[in-house]
Amino acid sequence: MPGIGVPTLEASLPPIVKRNYGKWITHEHVRPGVIKHDSETGEACYTVRVGMPPNARVSTGTVRMFCDLSDEFSEGYFRITQRNSIEFVGVPPARIDELIAVLAKAGYPVGGTNRSLHNTTCCTGYLHCHLAASDPAAIMKSLSDMLIEDYKTERFPAKLKISGSGCINNCGEGSCADIGIVAIHRDLPPIHEEKLKGCELPLVISVCPTGAIKPKGPNMIEIDPKRCIHCPACSVACAAMAPIGSANGDGVAIVVGGKAANTGDGPAMAKVVVPYLPNNPPRWPEVTDVVKKIIDAWVAGARKDERVGEWINRIGWPKFYQRTGLPLSFKVMDGYDARALELAKTGVRFQW
Amino acid sequence: MEKVKLCCAKCGFTIEEYTADELATVPRKAKRYKYLLNKSSICPSCLASGRLKESRSTGEAVAAPAPQVGAKSSTTAPVAHEEHAAAATPMMDALAKGPWPSHTAELKKTRYPVQMYEEALQKRTTQWGYGGYVSLPGVATGVLVRASARPEITKGSNFVRIMDPCGNFFKADAMRGLCDIADKYAYGLLHLLSTGGDLEMLGIPTENLKPAVEEITKLGFDVGSTGDDYRTSEECIGPAKCDLTLYDTLGFRYAWYQRFLDDVQYPRFPHKIKCKFAGCPNDCVRGGQKADIFVCGVFRDLPKIDQAKVASWVKGGGDITLICTRCPGGSLQWDAKKGLSIDGDSCMRCMYCINKISGMRPGDDRGVAILVGGKMRGKYGPMLAKVLVPFIKAVPPDYKEVFDFIERLTEVYDEHARKKERLGDFLLRIGINEFFQLVGVEPSPLLFAQPRTNLFYHWEPSEIRDERQK
Ligand code: HEM
Ligand code: SF4
Ligand code: SF4
Ligand code: SF4
Ligand code: SF4
Repeated sequence: MPGIGVPTLEASLPPIVKRNYGKWITHEHVRPGVIKHDSETGEACYTVRVGMPPNARVSTGTVRMFCDLSDEFSEGYFRITQRNSIEFVGVPPARIDELIAVLAKAGYPVGGTNRSLHNTTCCTGYLHCHLAASDPAAIMKSLSDMLIEDYKTERFPAKLKISGSGCINNCGEGSCADIGIVAIHRDLPPIHEEKLKGCELPLVISVCPTGAIKPKGPNMIEIDPKRCIHCPACSVACAAMAPIGSANGDGVAIVVGGKAANTGDGPAMAKVVVPYLPNNPPRWPEVTDVVKKIIDAWVAGARKDERVGEWINRIGWPKFYQRTGLPLSFKVMDGYDARALELAKTGVRFQW
Repeated sequence: MEKVKLCCAKCGFTIEEYTADELATVPRKAKRYKYLLNKSSICPSCLASGRLKESRSTGEAVAAPAPQVGAKSSTTAPVAHEEHAAAATPMMDALAKGPWPSHTAELKKTRYPVQMYEEALQKRTTQWGYGGYVSLPGVATGVLVRASARPEITKGSNFVRIMDPCGNFFKADAMRGLCDIADKYAYGLLHLLSTGGDLEMLGIPTENLKPAVEEITKLGFDVGSTGDDYRTSEECIGPAKCDLTLYDTLGFRYAWYQRFLDDVQYPRFPHKIKCKFAGCPNDCVRGGQKADIFVCGVFRDLPKIDQAKVASWVKGGGDITLICTRCPGGSLQWDAKKGLSIDGDSCMRCMYCINKISGMRPGDDRGVAILVGGKMRGKYGPMLAKVLVPFIKAVPPDYKEVFDFIERLTEVYDEHARKKERLGDFLLRIGINEFFQLVGVEPSPLLFAQPRTNLFYHWEPSEIRDERQK
């Protein structure tokens, strides 16, 4: 029964890690997808990183294949990274090529380290979620297909992380990434009167960030359509106000410049550069086109070690729009923000 | 002995059961009970949502509960899945093409109801219905239900969240065990991992939930991480495989579970709380962006320079000019004769030079910083975490000082925040000064980016007194 917590380190770490725990002194990117760590014990540890299907949703057959490969190549353990890549840790150096070949045969690319495209992450979207305004898994598949060579090589100025969320709940953490795809709704939430009695109306009213929901009689509510920002906190809190969305209402916003590390310009949330693109399954060409334009301009213009956001900070937003050729709209400036005027420019330090 | 049950108001399914004794003596159970009673829940059995009904009874009458999900043992044969008629899937087939591994190819190898996805793509709208978190008797958290908006394809789907082991290493045998359970009881589809760090087992018919959870725990894994509790915490790989870490992130996370497991498994906070632990300011867990509570390794003295190693790195082609130019403090200076020097006033301990130059190491005066309020959404949108404590020592094995502080912080949140208000939104509402004072931290210039420009400020009458120097 639940109540046991997580396994002990003793039970969950592979032998090579236990032998060198806390004793690593340097690391080196040997080649794309292969990292070498040196320990003060004199031992070296080679890690091979493998890309995963979008949303890292895999059949037990595929998981068993990873299990078998780790029995064969990495002492019976594998690791899953923060960005859902699979890592084989402690592969004997003489067998790295063999492992990469086996993986390639099974259709799994090795790469995603250092100055490359890192494995994409995204939420479940249409696969499993009633709030989804788009399908980030399909978008990530299309982007990964387009950029697979950039996953396997290191031609970028710095690392590139792309993440996608199926709605602004942002479970897929689009706002964290260098380039984020965050789906949005544009319709008003419905009010299914017959289901309202199952909802906590005071909670529904209080979760609305703009105060758009008002009581209308004892057991009824109404929405001020002018104030709604389609967030949709009410659809989350109350089954009577779900689902929100429609084929032409839903779509995606593109955000850029998110970063966690304290290096360079420090941590930042990504900024909205394209407020809306339509849903166009199965391959979302409008989205892949915008992403490609952003990457091409960044690769052409960024200095070494400059992440997307840092490149933009240096050249400024006017040059960003000029170099990418993206269409501009006032919708990237205003919106729902208590401090919206802070986005307007002060001073006349123009980067013409 | 008096028993108190919380049941679905519609079908009577028992969501949770306590003895009156427990409610009187075990605070977490009492809190949890109050929390459940005051919220709308979704019933795992009939999928109706609404307030739960309390029923109290005494003596033998409830000793043998009517057979239901909870009563099945793990030896019970799994309930069969719905059969899905094969139909054309042109959208999914298009997504199976291309060089990158395909999620649709994976889905097709499982019992996932592919028409739900195919039709969503065709109609450009999701086919899933309302969902939420449920608890089963004895399983307070970790199970999600998802209703279907297309009952003719599938009635719905449940999944469980399995808390990942520290370091995210999986032993092949244990993982095969999870595969067996997923094949036996579920779709045969695993999510490795969710962005929150859990391993999810997808598509478990309601009747199979209890035995599946039982078998998962027999393998040594536990479930949790749904609802208004501590979600699975995430740590960076730290000492297991990183040469930069400033504290033992894995040991820290393990100790965190030892101390806070109840808060992970018995939802009762105003909203979810996500904790992330990074070994150094590189923040590989993006805790500064996503975590309500972010513990980040920091050092106070300067980066250490091994001049001989740095010189040989430069000789070997290391681009020292690039690193000096990109040092955000403008603190690094390279001189071919004198070597590398750091201006201690402007260095912000960002890790860049240490990441890039062979021969540089983090300083020795090490501890952790605690930041709060990071989130991806909440009420008012994405927000970076704010510094609450710039430096505190992280002392193994129980990290008492850090954990005591975190506990105090969550008590303030628990007591003062509104229902469904993320920590960051709470901070925004009450103001960071008020929050600092409630939690009890001292003012420090490390706590703000810059002082305010606005001169408006609210002073309390009680703060007004004769402060002339005598
Ligand atoms: C059908 C609905 C939903 C599904 C399938 C879903 C699924 C997920 C999953 C798999 C994660 C990964 C993290 C974890 O294991 O904790 C996640 C994270 C997250 N969820 Fe959801 N979720 C849903 C609804 C929501 C709602 C309603 C909210 C907000 C009110 C929300 C907010 C988030 C956020 C902000 C994260 C980001 C991760 C983080 O901050 O660490 N999700 N979600
Ligand atoms: S981001 Fe939206 S669509 Fe994606 S899982 Fe979260 S709630 Fe669902
Ligand atoms: S979608 Fe958001 S803004 Fe619109 S009514 Fe609902 S809670 Fe308010
Ligand atoms: S956050 Fe720092 S210590 Fe942790 S893995 Fe990243 S670089 Fe290493
Ligand atoms: S730690 Fe960062 S700020 Fe300090 S010297 Fe190195 S690069 Fe510069």
